[in-house]
Amino acid sequence: MKKLGIGLYAVVTVALMIWGFYQAIYVAPDDALQGYIFRIIYYHVPSFAAAFTFFSVSFLGSIAFLSFRRSRPEWAQIADAWALAGAEVGVVFCSVGLTTGPLWGRRAWGIWWTWDARLTTTLVLWLIYVSYLLMRRFAAGPQVQTLAAVLGIFGALDVPIVYMANRWWRTQHPAPVFGGAEGSGMKDPAMLAAFGWNMLAWFAWGIFVLILRFNVERKHQQYAEEEAQEALAANI
Amino acid sequence: MDQAQILDHQFVAAAYTITWVIQLGYLAWLGWKWRTEKRNAERRSPGRR
Amino acid sequence: MIGAVWTHLVKDLRIEWRSKEAINSMLFFALLVVVLFSLAFDPRGAFSREIAGGVLSVATMFASVSALNQAWAREIRHQVLDAQRMAPTAGSDLFLAKVLANFLFVTIVQIALAPVFLVMYNLQVQGKAWQLALVLPLATWALVANGTFFAALSIRSRNRELLLPLILFPIFMPALLAMVVATKDILTGESDPTLWIKLLAGYDIIFTTVSLLLFDVVFHAE
Repeated sequence: MKKLGIGLYAVVTVALMIWGFYQAIYVAPDDALQGYIFRIIYYHVPSFAAAFTFFSVSFLGSIAFLSFRRSRPEWAQIADAWALAGAEVGVVFCSVGLTTGPLWGRRAWGIWWTWDARLTTTLVLWLIYVSYLLMRRFAAGPQVQTLAAVLGIFGALDVPIVYMANRWWRTQHPAPVFGGAEGSGMKDPAMLAAFGWNMLAWFAWGIFVLILRFNVERKHQQYAEEEAQEALAANI
Repeated sequence: MDQAQILDHQFVAAAYTITWVIQLGYLAWLGWKWRTEKRNAERRSPGRR
Repeated sequence: MIGAVWTHLVKDLRIEWRSKEAINSMLFFALLVVVLFSLAFDPRGAFSREIAGGVLSVATMFASVSALNQAWAREIRHQVLDAQRMAPTAGSDLFLAKVLANFLFVTIVQIALAPVFLVMYNLQVQGKAWQLALVLPLATWALVANGTFFAALSIRSRNRELLLPLILFPIFMPALLAMVVATKDILTGESDPTLWIKLLAGYDIIFTTVSLLLFDVVFHAE
């Protein structure tokens, strides 16, 4: 029954992806100002939206872990698994954004990169979460989870800065398209539709991958726990 | 189609391709990790899921 | 609370005064960086004003990391850290004192470096020089506060010396950017650094507060 549900979800996700691709490439028109290259937006923006969401999941997991680690250890382990899964999947989506962005920028502005507020803070965000993942891999000792949770909270402080960067400062990166100043926003319904479908598709994909990563981590936790128990029992 | 338009098409294709390489690559790695953990669980307590 | 912070601070300063191990290594390291960059880029005139901020920042960062690495090592020897944990003062008092002590050491290094800069880079400040007295301490505080916190975080790791710069530098980058651009703006006199100074101040407030709140978690996490 569960396998059927998962299979169905996977099929729906793939269908959404294909439909989103069709909408982005064949249905939506060229942008009035930027032309064909504008279509990168249908992958670029949803990737970052997903990345921010999953980094938030990681943030909540880190907080929950610190709150529960003495009172309810079982919940704390679950929270830690979410923290790790959110960070890792967030890094994947952020990487996608950081590679599609320069490709877009090269054609639209003539430059691969610049150190404006939006790009810099986003790169910093990526670096912070990569260092979080590296810390989890390299740090040894029984307190890795606690220390990682603390680092995760620090890292999450950057997310709102990244999001607000092109509102607070004038940047090379375009000003907000949605919820921006007067005259901004997508006017063409075909473009809006393509954008909406791709948002849905990438979130569906992201959630699938996130839950998978969470479950892999839970399995790993249980395996590590059993190993530890056995080592203890062998020594008694 | 002029040169600029061709380049635009190529860059869009590159962007979409890189996205898929990263996403599918990660999914593949996850699948490998899933199998590793399953095999560990089985070795630990054979028969139990 | 002030009493406890003061006690910790005096203790750290006294130890450092007797051994001078941190200050010496920091000074030497920072000097090396400054000289190396001078060799590599041969700064003159306008160009030196462009890069001086960046060079100073890098020199400060590398020097600080060498000091931060052993900031807590001192406490681990002879189980001093355990004694600290059992003391009736809050962990955050110890943290604040360490940050103040490290801030003092780094500032001393920066002041010692100033004449070297003036000579090797032929620096003439085109903008308002007094603003440097705002920018440098704010940026140094950001580095030292975060650095002391993450040094405590990575105390028990196998790869402590590797881990500290790895987790410190990304988080420090916004402050680094602000420091470099503000210094460049002040030295060249080209634009107004007020925005970057405000950013540094905001960054310091946010991250110092979060560090103080979370330090006890890290302190007792053994």
